[in-house]
Amino acid sequence: MGDKDDRSPKKKKGGTKDMDDLKKEVPITEHKMSIEEVCRKFQTDIVQGLTNAKAAEFLIRDGPNALTPPPTTPEWVKFCRQLFGGFSVLLWIGAILCLLAYAIQAATEDDPAGDNVSNPHTHARTYSHLALLHLINPSLYLGIVLTAVVIITGCFSYFQEAKSSKIMESFKNMVPQVDNSSLTGESEPQSRSPDCTHDNPLETRNVAFFSTNCVEGTARGLVICTGDRTVMGRIATLTSGLETGKTPIAKEIEHFIHIITGVAVFLGITFFILAIVLGYTWLEAVIFLIGIIVANVPEGLLATVTVCLTLTAKRMAKKNCLVKNLEAVETLGSTSTICSDKTGTLTQNRMTVAHMWFDNQIHEADTTEDQSGASFDKSSVTWLSLARVAGLCNRAQFKGGQDPLPILKRDVAGDASESALLKCIELSCGSVRMMRDKNKKVAEIPFNSTNKYQLSVHETEDPNDNRYLLVMKGAPERILDRCTTILIQGKEQPMDEELKEAFQNAYMELGGLGERVLGFCHLLLPEDQYPKGFAFDTEDVNFQTDNLCFVGLMSMIDPPRAAVPDAVGKCRSAGIKVIMVTGDHPITAKAIAKGVGIISEGNETVEDIAARLNIPVSQVNPRDAKACVIHGTDLKDLSQDQMDDILRNHTEIVFARTSPQQKLIIVEGCQRLGAIVAVTGDGVNDSPALKKADIGVAMGISGSDVSKQAADMILLDDNFASIVTGVEEGRLIFDNLKKSIAYTLTSNIPEITPFLFFIIVNIPLPLGTITILCIDLGTDMVPAISLAYETAESDIMKRQPRNPFRDKLVNERLISIAYGQIGMIQALGGFFSYFVILAENGFLPSFLVGIRLNWDDRSVNDLEDSYGQQWTYEQRKIVEFTCHTAFFVSIVVVQWADVIICKTRRNSVFQQGMRNKILIFGLFEETALAAFLSYCPGMDVALRMYPLKPTWWFCAFPYSFLIFVYDEVRKLLIRRNPGGWVERETYY
Amino acid sequence: MSGTKEEDRKGSSEWRESFWNPRTHELLGRTAASWGLILLFYLVFYLFLAGMFVLTMYIMLLTLDDYKPTWQDRLATPGMMIRPKGDQLEISFSVSDTESWDGFIHNLNTFLSPYNDSYQVQTNDNCPPDQYFIQEDSGEVRNNPKRSCQFNRTMLEECSGISDRFYGYSRGQPCILIKLNRVIGMLPGKDGQSPYVTCGAKREDSDKIGPLAYYPPNGTFNLMYYPYYGKRAQVNYTQPLVAVKFLNASLNTDINIECKITSNTLADGSERDKFAGRVSFKLRINDN
Repeated sequence: MGDKDDRSPKKKKGGTKDMDDLKKEVPITEHKMSIEEVCRKFQTDIVQGLTNAKAAEFLIRDGPNALTPPPTTPEWVKFCRQLFGGFSVLLWIGAILCLLAYAIQAATEDDPAGDNVSNPHTHARTYSHLALLHLINPSLYLGIVLTAVVIITGCFSYFQEAKSSKIMESFKNMVPQVDNSSLTGESEPQSRSPDCTHDNPLETRNVAFFSTNCVEGTARGLVICTGDRTVMGRIATLTSGLETGKTPIAKEIEHFIHIITGVAVFLGITFFILAIVLGYTWLEAVIFLIGIIVANVPEGLLATVTVCLTLTAKRMAKKNCLVKNLEAVETLGSTSTICSDKTGTLTQNRMTVAHMWFDNQIHEADTTEDQSGASFDKSSVTWLSLARVAGLCNRAQFKGGQDPLPILKRDVAGDASESALLKCIELSCGSVRMMRDKNKKVAEIPFNSTNKYQLSVHETEDPNDNRYLLVMKGAPERILDRCTTILIQGKEQPMDEELKEAFQNAYMELGGLGERVLGFCHLLLPEDQYPKGFAFDTEDVNFQTDNLCFVGLMSMIDPPRAAVPDAVGKCRSAGIKVIMVTGDHPITAKAIAKGVGIISEGNETVEDIAARLNIPVSQVNPRDAKACVIHGTDLKDLSQDQMDDILRNHTEIVFARTSPQQKLIIVEGCQRLGAIVAVTGDGVNDSPALKKADIGVAMGISGSDVSKQAADMILLDDNFASIVTGVEEGRLIFDNLKKSIAYTLTSNIPEITPFLFFIIVNIPLPLGTITILCIDLGTDMVPAISLAYETAESDIMKRQPRNPFRDKLVNERLISIAYGQIGMIQALGGFFSYFVILAENGFLPSFLVGIRLNWDDRSVNDLEDSYGQQWTYEQRKIVEFTCHTAFFVSIVVVQWADVIICKTRRNSVFQQGMRNKILIFGLFEETALAAFLSYCPGMDVALRMYPLKPTWWFCAFPYSFLIFVYDEVRKLLIRRNPGGWVERETYY
Repeated sequence: MSGTKEEDRKGSSEWRESFWNPRTHELLGRTAASWGLILLFYLVFYLFLAGMFVLTMYIMLLTLDDYKPTWQDRLATPGMMIRPKGDQLEISFSVSDTESWDGFIHNLNTFLSPYNDSYQVQTNDNCPPDQYFIQEDSGEVRNNPKRSCQFNRTMLEECSGISDRFYGYSRGQPCILIKLNRVIGMLPGKDGQSPYVTCGAKREDSDKIGPLAYYPPNGTFNLMYYPYYGKRAQVNYTQPLVAVKFLNASLNTDINIECKITSNTLADGSERDKFAGRVSFKLRINDN
């Protein structure tokens, strides 16, 4: 169905999908034209419509009446993004350099394998395939390994992403489609008529919109727009066309990749030049360059981050927060502003009777979802009458087959107010159906906008009483006009001025609560005038409809969800500003805002202050009011500066009667002020804002498809309180990622320094490239991931959201600690094991400096050690590779201490405890893996790792212990002197 | 360390300011005092680490024996090497081209100079052959310096460079010296049987190698040169040699030769180490 004007056919619009144009209000003007004008414009006829030929022509011109599906990224593009993003580029360069070095070696030497100085092809045949693996050129081997690493980590990340999007798809199939998508966000049916009632096409009565459903009645109209040109289409196009910024965590990771890449490239180039200057061949220099790159890049880190985010996403899914985009997991934690839709998110999205006024007294009904709230006195006779009127003068009824369901959960056929009344009566007085059966309906005048009342005539319950009962409900003032008496304590009393004033006060009070108030009255028609069988004529009313007896008022509201006030309070204490953005009326919006604490107790709007001081609104200083309620029409006239001013100076803001475009403008305004904005919403009208927000949160049950598509996160239980969980998890994962990165980066120093010393002081290489990869992709992985399971150190919901400009994921203090301090201790531990092994095998430390040239010369097979013994190339290489293994094991040993100190950033480990089981598992796992790599037969061939003597495991223990003690002391100083030098320089 | 500062500044002048801010006197976001403090911290920290490292290294060195390394398991099979040693273990020369083998002669002369009889007689003992020359320490009392046995240059006879100054290179009958790597405490034979060297050509080259002559006779490393006590205890140790003379090797062709040690105590070297207990090299004699 296209947008229909009651008078107009198809409408063509220019094909420009300019975003700014889309952000403006809908340019429909047809609703202001006369029927003839519209017919002329679209070359159609009001009776016959378009000719078939014309229709076909228009179809070719405009395309089918369907929305263009949002462009999707092809899978291979996503895959390539994983393959060439992040550190992959550096590793690709490394791999290409390796293969290049191999190609050049192969081209310049006959014997690229280079292992056999005399004659390779006669000899190599005798080796097994396994042995061949390491006989191939080391450059080629490394090149292949690096390529494999990039592809495997790329595949892994791609797989993780694909898995989380698959969860989304399966979820889509699971949720029943609920048809309440509407353009204004409110699910109240609206009547349509042929007259233009408003300049704004969204407000006017004579336009029906694409994708809205006709609940009741029939009409004939002309299509004025189709497909993407409809209001719905514009929103969808606007949504899919919006440029969404990177998620905060993506920005942080990018920032961190820049730092690491910068360091890697800087060191690589420096040492490349240094190597050339020192007289190495350029081929050697290239190999050094590769080594430095490999050592500098934390290959496993991005995979670790992905896994950490996935774990959190899973944890959140268990708490009913489904995350569509992995990176969005953290975004909620950084969120500083939440723009929440009202209906369905903050409220239960069902009208409920909240208050009643009878016996000259306001009674409160129970609006909680589980009927746990207070009840009122149901014994009054007046209440019984009121219930009877509300039950009888009511066309809503329960749909069949729902008897086992609780009353509140049952589906009702009928409009929202009548459903609310029906449920209220059913709850307090029992079956309404029985009541209706006993009081047979004989006549009815349905509600219409001119009468503003609904009336029906029933037989009485008492079979001996032949009088008819007339019941009426409607707008309170109209009802009151028709009444001369009022029922008080079951007795009819004349309606005097005093009671009228009481009525007015009650009506005002309930209206001020944002509630929809209905008045009820009844009359037992005198039997003499209306005997049994009287023909009531509802067209030409032939019976008494005034001088009735007023029974009471009932007011309805879509009540806030029970958990929302608490959740809003938690957001507040977490420093998050909660803004309500709704399409609803300001009074209702304000009432709900007050109810849920978005406007907190004691805070006043400008209007409130004006009313309190009894001065005009214009005289109130807007700065005095912390809260404000802004109407959509006012919003339209605000300049950008005024908008910023409002957002900056008011802590509690409610936007009412906002259009989808305005919601978008509000989000953009918040973002302009540097806030990280979360938007919650369920309607199509929210989707541009959802998409534009840093994190869009859609509702799983009531949310429309379009909104779910635009959102990054879905609340499966539609409960705003789940957002608090999301915030908490997001903040925790940000802290834990810091720890995880600090842990992973630390081992970079013991990986880089061996190369530097190898080049500068010409010692045998202490740590090889393969062992570096074993650390980065092997032993460091599980402990790094286990830090994601770490519990919070303090109440993370009590602190302010992080400032995206100041609080970086990786800051200079983290680098200072990881690289400058802990990393250096680790490097010393590794070097110590290296020197121990060489010394115990006969090469004393003083002997090693400058030995490299002979050491790495394959034709020198009688290299002398400190004791005068002579070594073949292979023999000393085995010792060297044993050193690599020992260095590797030492890094594992010092990383034990590192993972324990990384558990906390401020607290002592003794305060935090060792309850993280995954971390303990990680400690054992990395140790077992290290032992496996060292002792498993065949590792000497496959990875060139050799068994260690048991004592060599203990070389790094003193350094491990030093790391632990050093960091405990550092954290103690941080706790003792908050804000002191230690904290300023080392708290990351 | 000025990352956070840089973030909220834009434009090149502001970037310059983040390097040096004249208003606050901040260099890269730190004042002189701040720089001083952090550098002082790192200086002290690294001095402490250096101290700790030196301490652990010192303790480690204390545990080492001065005369024997802690581990020798990687030296179970001693390596072997040849002299003269060209690039890539290739002995390639032209008989007629003096220049082409001059380097080898020079190399051998230098290598053999400590083996001169006069020098050996002066510094080393004349030991009883075919038995180990054992000089044990008695408990804590070191029996140092230890004596070594003479290996006289003349024992290499034809390959000693005395009778033939050119070690046969000028006649196309080159001498190659083979030595067994020194390993402290290694006992290369038992029952009085000395290990000996045998050379042969690899596979298809077997018909090219021609007859060989070994000096000393049978190509043995006499047991009296073992065990080796290390360069600190046995300063004048003379490493025994075996010379192989190629009497009639084919000319103008590559010959791949492998020499092996045969011993009744030494384990065969690993397949992967082509210099443990054996040595391979390429010989090419051109006649023009």
